Amino acid sequence: MRRCADCDVDVEGTWDLCPLCEAPVTRTSGAGEPTANPWPDVPLRYSRRRLLRALLLTSIGVTLATFAVQLLITPGIPGLGVLRSVWLGVAALWLVVLMAVRKRRNLAKSTVYFVLLVGLVSVYWDYLLGWSGWSVTYVVPILCGSSILALVLIVRVMRIEVGEHVVYSGLTVLLGLTPLVFLLLGWVTTPLPSALCGALSLAALGMLQLTEVRHELAKRLHV
Amino acid sequence: MSRRAWVRLDNASNMFLAARSEIDPKVFRVGAEMDHEVDPQLLQEALEAIYDRYRLYHAVLRRGVFWYYLQDSDLRPRVTADELPPCAPIYQADRRTLLFRVTYHERRINLEVFHALSDGTGALWFLADLLTVYVRLRYPDRDRSLGQGADAAAPRSDADRALADPPPPDDVAEPVHELTTDSFAYYFLRRRRRRRRRHRPDPWETRAAFSSEAPPTPLAVEDSVRGPTAAARVHRVRGTRTPDSRTRVVELTMPASQVLDLARAEEVALTMYLTGVFFESVRRSSGGLGSARTLAASVPVNLRQFFPSTSARNFFATTRVEHTYGEGPDDLGAVCRQLERDFRSAATPESLERKLRRFIRFERMPALRVVPRPLKDVILGLVNRSSNRGLSVAVSNLGRVSLPEPAAAHVRRLLFQVSAVRPQFCAISHAGLLTVSFTSPYLETDHVREFARILTAAGVDVTVAAARVTEQELAEAESAKVER
Repeated sequence: MRRCADCDVDVEGTWDLCPLCEAPVTRTSGAGEPTANPWPDVPLRYSRRRLLRALLLTSIGVTLATFAVQLLITPGIPGLGVLRSVWLGVAALWLVVLMAVRKRRNLAKSTVYFVLLVGLVSVYWDYLLGWSGWSVTYVVPILCGSSILALVLIVRVMRIEVGEHVVYSGLTVLLGLTPLVFLLLGWVTTPLPSALCGALSLAALGMLQLTEVRHELAKRLHV
Repeated sequence: MSRRAWVRLDNASNMFLAARSEIDPKVFRVGAEMDHEVDPQLLQEALEAIYDRYRLYHAVLRRGVFWYYLQDSDLRPRVTADELPPCAPIYQADRRTLLFRVTYHERRINLEVFHALSDGTGALWFLADLLTVYVRLRYPDRDRSLGQGADAAAPRSDADRALADPPPPDDVAEPVHELTTDSFAYYFLRRRRRRRRRHRPDPWETRAAFSSEAPPTPLAVEDSVRGPTAAARVHRVRGTRTPDSRTRVVELTMPASQVLDLARAEEVALTMYLTGVFFESVRRSSGGLGSARTLAASVPVNLRQFFPSTSARNFFATTRVEHTYGEGPDDLGAVCRQLERDFRSAATPESLERKLRRFIRFERMPALRVVPRPLKDVILGLVNRSSNRGLSVAVSNLGRVSLPEPAAAHVRRLLFQVSAVRPQFCAISHAGLLTVSFTSPYLETDHVREFARILTAAGVDVTVAAARVTEQELAEAESAKVER
């Protein structure tokens, strides 16, 4: 055991300086052998979380700003169309990657985010290019339909617990019904994709375990 | 289909979640120092043996739209070497992990718990159970001498004879700590129904009401009874943050009887004596209090002593004691006696219940309940921050713990630490040894030095143990290792 004469205390462990007053300790009992330190010496660790968070927020901000800037560009300038499509594609891809990384622990949840994100970007893109309806005619129905199919497979293959995915599966199915709305409002140029997606969603709706959905919602929405 | 059990958090726990930060992850540690090097394999076996009795400890924390909740899980805990700084963060949003960890280092067994799961008393039950089973596994021949096996080995020493006492009944027949046991709800509901028959019993509301009302955390929210004028004058301890935001821990170990004698001489209980000494050491190390002459401490009170409960979940209320220097007698004895008076009047069942009911009224406001959770976190965080301004330090005393045999005979001392947003001490005593662990987000240990010096000057034998925090301290340890 070591001893700090100034503080009049015994010091456990291998301290050469008193942890209280930083005066040199003297070696007393046991031929000056220090006792084992009851605390492990844990090396310093610096968390990069704050840096990563700042980078994430900045990149989301920049991406959204570039989306907004697109509004200022009038279509029809020769040579700009390709550049613009490439830029929109890169920005959308970056958002998808960020989302997929952040939500990687819950595939059902990331599917919902994916559908929403890509759906909204494509509708916006369509609008920027002068609205010909390709997004609601093709992109959204195909996106929703394939997401439902993908979820059905993922849930089976990965054996995800019902409670874990049922809310997000339900949301995906609900999103899958939106093409039917487009169809009814007459926003689509070709009815087939929307009709197929709608039929698929209705079938999936029948497969949903509604009691489970209710249980999960009661849990997640308790006030 | 088996659905996972879930239960909503009480308000104390919600506050812990809102108040947690990089420097204070709201984790506490209860630990035991054994009389031998810990065998991790046996510790793991012991952990597995008791784990099923504690459903609460199976829980993971999840985020709902309006509130957090605890949900049962199939995860199994693993005993690991103590490789993280003390009271390192446990809960990480989006990751479904258990809310506690069991670690070992040489002779020490540590249980670290996220405070939203359990409080010190609840965790201590778990630790006592773990130690009992571990010691049985570690010394199986002695167990047989307890009459449980055929081969009754004769006790070889006094220590062995001490072990031959039959284990207390609660050791085996410990109630299963269910996920849903919520003592706040239990005590609140009965009274409330009796009083207000006309009120339609809405199961959600009733279940929510008191549980959400759980009092503020011992480290966080404080009652602002004294108003802003008092808060404005409260001295707040400042310092240099530790390099990687870990908690600075310094433990003082001393014979409990020596300190008890000192407290008795001043006619106060141990907790308030230590608080008085803490105030004095903060005053001495502050280099002059200046105009902020009031020191205030938050002191948690275990509600189980007033409202019997076996729930391992949070069940405590906090009280606040303060002393203003320069307005009357400031000697240690006078300060302690005044703190004791204040504490006694605050820590009565009636006044605690009044306080809890006041929180209930606040919590039951529909406008607050429908606020989305992320926003609630911000609101509660602000409430917490404003109440922090009225506190200088925090103290917490788990009291004298008597572990069941055979664990008691092999445990040298018990330890208790809490991650802290302000200087704090946690005390616990076992087998005649009192350990007072100081935790702080700051590097400075001046207040601990003064604390130790006050005690040693009064004739107490104090031993110091500290975890290395700065680069310099760690380098010193490295060079010491090389020398050997």
